[in-house]
Amino acid sequence: MDEFQEILQDFLIESFELVEKLDEDLVELENNPEDLELLNGIFRVAHTVKGASSFLNFDVLTHLTHHMEDVLNKARHGELIITPDIMDVVLESIDLMKALLETIRDTSADAGIDVAACVVRLDKISGGDGEVQTPVATAPVEEAPVVEEVVEPAIEEDDIDYDNMSPDDLEAEIEKLLQERQAEDKAKRQAKIAAGEEVLAAPPSPEEVEESPAVEPTPAAAPTPPPAPTPVKKAEEPKAAAPAKRAPATVEQTIRVDVKRLDHLMNLIGELVLAKNRLIKINDDVEERYEGEEFLEELNQVVSIVSLVTTDLQIAVMKTRMLPIGKVFNKFPRMIRDLSRELNKKIELEISGEETELDKSIVEEIGDPLVHIIRNSCDHGVETPEERVAKGKDETGVIGLKAYNEGNQIVIQIDDDGKGLDTDMLKNKSLEKGIITEKEADSMSDKEAFGLIFKPGFSTAAAVTNVSGRGVGMDVVKTNIEKLNGIIDIDSEINVGTSMKLKIPLTLAIIQALLVGVQEEYYAIPLASVLETVRISKEEIYTVEGKSVMRLREEVLSLVHIGDIFEVERILDASEHAYVVVLGLGTSKLGLIVDTLVGQEEIVIKSLGDYLKGIEGVAGATIRGDGGVTLIVDVVALMSMAREVKATTMIEASSEASSNFEKTKASDYTVMIVDDSKTDRTIMRKALEPMGITLVEATDGQEALNILKSGDYNFDGMLVDIEMPRMDGYTLATEIKKYNKYKNLPLIAVTSRTGKSDRMRGVESGMVEYITKPYSADYLSSVVVRNINFKAEFL
Amino acid sequence: MSDKLKEIINKQSDSQNVDMNQLDDVVQLVGFVIGDEEYAIPILSIQEIIKPFSWTRVPQVPKYVLGVFNLRGAVIPLIDLRAKFGLQTKKQSDETRFIVMRHEDDVAGFVIDRLTMAIRIKKTNIGPPPDTIDSDDTIIDGVGKQEDKIITILKVNKLLERDF
Repeated sequence: MDEFQEILQDFLIESFELVEKLDEDLVELENNPEDLELLNGIFRVAHTVKGASSFLNFDVLTHLTHHMEDVLNKARHGELIITPDIMDVVLESIDLMKALLETIRDTSADAGIDVAACVVRLDKISGGDGEVQTPVATAPVEEAPVVEEVVEPAIEEDDIDYDNMSPDDLEAEIEKLLQERQAEDKAKRQAKIAAGEEVLAAPPSPEEVEESPAVEPTPAAAPTPPPAPTPVKKAEEPKAAAPAKRAPATVEQTIRVDVKRLDHLMNLIGELVLAKNRLIKINDDVEERYEGEEFLEELNQVVSIVSLVTTDLQIAVMKTRMLPIGKVFNKFPRMIRDLSRELNKKIELEISGEETELDKSIVEEIGDPLVHIIRNSCDHGVETPEERVAKGKDETGVIGLKAYNEGNQIVIQIDDDGKGLDTDMLKNKSLEKGIITEKEADSMSDKEAFGLIFKPGFSTAAAVTNVSGRGVGMDVVKTNIEKLNGIIDIDSEINVGTSMKLKIPLTLAIIQALLVGVQEEYYAIPLASVLETVRISKEEIYTVEGKSVMRLREEVLSLVHIGDIFEVERILDASEHAYVVVLGLGTSKLGLIVDTLVGQEEIVIKSLGDYLKGIEGVAGATIRGDGGVTLIVDVVALMSMAREVKATTMIEASSEASSNFEKTKASDYTVMIVDDSKTDRTIMRKALEPMGITLVEATDGQEALNILKSGDYNFDGMLVDIEMPRMDGYTLATEIKKYNKYKNLPLIAVTSRTGKSDRMRGVESGMVEYITKPYSADYLSSVVVRNINFKAEFL
Repeated sequence: MSDKLKEIINKQSDSQNVDMNQLDDVVQLVGFVIGDEEYAIPILSIQEIIKPFSWTRVPQVPKYVLGVFNLRGAVIPLIDLRAKFGLQTKKQSDETRFIVMRHEDDVAGFVIDRLTMAIRIKKTNIGPPPDTIDSDDTIIDGVGKQEDKIITILKVNKLLERDF
């Protein structure tokens, strides 16, 4: 990058920062026209931009800012009182200035924007004192430099050591050189060179900034860090770099980092979190197996340290990506001001919690929705002054904009004290526009009715105005917030006001999720969308118009089975009880039926890649502690999918289509022998072999289950020992009976346990016969024959 | 002496050139079996070959997409080539392998019945796909002829293309 480009970048970064601050200050100024401090600040901004742009030969920009400066200077000296009309013109000129800066950013030139009209208006305000000004400002720059103390007796030497100057001295130097430039042409050229050097020599990191005042013992008022020369997007500009001269005496140490590096760091942390989850799981397993061993204590300590540090690390990295939400809030005072003038309403904006921090990516996304919501509040919420007076309210309406932390979420609350939402009116409008049916309108709760304002095509405004009424805005709000995994909560009371809460997760990459199980599969549901979980029995589910519903306290909640959404095969027998995860999204609710709740876990969102992208209902995947992949439920999509799903909920899987084909010979019969003792297996084999049936052996319950699940054989019966390692006979029987397919598979216990309670347990776990060792070969084979319906002709 | 040295060096570089020429003419493939047919793909498009392990089913996809699995932290789709080629699905055996193929940024795992071997085959021995197959749309890159058999060479980019 050549030198000019580098200077230009610095100029742009600085200017955008200044302009951002300007908006806020100007609105403030309108309320406090007497605030000299504020005026000075604003004047300085115009002045700085003018100075820098003339160096860089942006004539149009210089021309515009010069006239702005004139007006502000008059105001500063009390020759002009800032009225709303004057403010309109000033604000217009600032908008132009922004547009110019943007053009410069994109094209490196400030051509193409006409500022003449605005300049004329500015001139009129400043008294039209007849000075014909050429684009390159020749008019004398106001005598009084902004900060008094920087005017030191002019140092005439050309060989000033710029490198060793404190930032304030540098500015003083620029100021001085500026004046010189106006004095004579030669000096101007000199200044240009100097400015080039200065910017290049500007300390690249705050450490140096700190050093410089020490080297130069000038009584520098308050050194502000000059923008470092690295060209980085303005969005990540730390607030500390705001260049007002009245900056706090302590220099905040900041360093500019490319966002990409932070993203990379975040990804690495993600991997670490997964590894941590895995470690914890392994630790649990080890604990179980080696209970009481000494090294366990040590392992426990290490695991907990690792998990603690990982969590801290994650938070620390997340914090580096955090920006104060003030960045977004800043533009609203100006917007409210413009809107209230446009709509002839009196509206005040109260902002609080602007220091609340959010992830950078979210800060970028949240701006648009907020604009729409605030516009909506101005246009539809707050009434005209006359109406307000008639209602006995204060003439001035108040819109509150508030941000605060709530658990793992950020809440942005927008309150107005306007007319509130009228549910009947909302329903009628929606009926008119065909958004809802009459039936739906009747059964709607207040909350659901409020939610109507988010429907596409909905608008309560009678006419389409500049501000709103096209019925697009609030729909955009909803989609944008949902994209961020956030939810919207509306509360409203007629003639008291409306309150809207946007709840947004702190970060996007790592989220808290509720893990649920259905059959043998697991899914992760973002915890932000989970309102509560309830355990219900089958009798509590009713069917209304082909949809399953349940009664949840006073409400009727529609239900959908997660298995129906994700086409899960029903291989396990549904138990008497199920869990309902109540999902909330905006104002709509849905009950998701799952078989089991596994628990809460921190998960890292991973994409499914190009090959599998766009699967409805799946937001991504995550890797669990055991190394398996778990899909993440896309709650937004799930809600809309739920409407399509018929109520197959809890209906038993259709009769087993298991291939009970005709047995034509003895060896078509298959029986499994499960016993850990080789001798016992051989005895059973010897007893059954004469029948000619196929025999399969397993050495413990786990192995037996695996053989069964593999589906390699169609078993007609099983002989099960009770005492076995890994999985005993009772557990095996219970596991097997969970599968629909094996409900009728005869399980025969063969054991030396003869106690009554043992027999009872056997029956409970689903065994049909109980043979006690020792037994005769004939007895065993007769029991088997009876239970597997062995055809007599094969005997 | 120096002449001799030169001679040797020349000889060596000659033989190297010959090698290089040979390399240019030879394609290295990895052969595998699906059903009764032997197929092959270029060795350079294989990221790795692994033994089967568990995967997670994904809803709303064709039957041949078995799901996704975790390959050292990356979530990768798993495709059953038997199902994709319209064959009966078969139980996985000891010889079943996942071949992880890569083409540019696309990665996927493919289930095959068994590996055969790494094959070096001369380019001249590779013929175009049969005329009966529409050459633009096919996943067949060519047919490699060996002494006793022919091998179908597949296009990796086509295999990794989403077609649903």
